[in-house]
Amino acid sequence: MKNRLKVLRAERNWTQAQLADALDVSRQTVNAIETGKFDPSLPLAFRAARLFGLRIEEIFHDPALDKDGSNPATERVHQ
Amino acid sequence: MLYKKTTKADIMNQPKPSENGYQSRFQTNTKWLVRWNGAWVAATLLMLLGPKVLWNNASGFTLLAVGLDVAVGVGMVLATKKYVMELDELQRKVFLNALGIAMGVGLIAGAPLSAMDAYHVIPFHVNIGLLLIIMGLTFFVSFLYGTWRYR
Repeated sequence: MKNRLKVLRAERNWTQAQLADALDVSRQTVNAIETGKFDPSLPLAFRAARLFGLRIEEIFHDPALDKDGSNPATERVHQ
Repeated sequence: MLYKKTTKADIMNQPKPSENGYQSRFQTNTKWLVRWNGAWVAATLLMLLGPKVLWNNASGFTLLAVGLDVAVGVGMVLATKKYVMELDELQRKVFLNALGIAMGVGLIAGAPLSAMDAYHVIPFHVNIGLLLIIMGLTFFVSFLYGTWRYR
C-alpha cells in the first residue's frame, strides 16, 4: 500500500519521532510505514487521518486501484 | 494539491514529546521485563545449584526454591504478556514472529536431540538447558533480523 505520510510530515516540518509520538507508536513503525515496508492497521490509519485532518484514502492508496479510482478486481466480480 | 507550504501554525503545532508517550512506556516496560527475566534466571540457578552448594540436599529448602522459581516464572510470564500487549503493532509483529520461530525450532530440535541422546548417537547427554539455549538464541537472532528488516 502506498501512502503520503512522508509528504504530509515534511509539509509540517515534523520529524519521524514527533509523528511517532503523536500516533503513539515507535519511530521504527513510522519509518517502516513511510518506506512501504509495513501496512498499518485500520485503527492506526484512522489515527493518522485524524491527526492530519484528512480521510484515510487521502493518505493511503491501494496500488491495485486504477488511476481513476476504480478497482479492476471489483469490476471483474460485477461483470 | 500534493504539497503545501509550511506555515508558522504548522511549526507551532508540532507534536511535543509526551512524558507518558509510547517511547517512555516502552522503556519502562523493557526495564521491568529485563528485571523479571533476571529474577527468573537467578531463581532457576538457585533451584538447580542450591541443593548441592547451599543446603546439602535438604528437601524443605529445595521445595521452597522450586516454589520461588515457579512464582517468579509466573511473574515473568505476566510481565512478558504486558510487554507484548503494549508494544506497537510493528514491534508486536516482530516479537511474535521471533517467538513463533523460536518455539518451532524448539519443537523441531527437541525430538531429534532426545532421540540421538537415547540411542547414544551423540557423545554428550542432552538436558532441557540445551533446548532453552537453542530457543533463546533462535529468538534473539530472529528478533534482530525482524528489527533490521523493518528498520
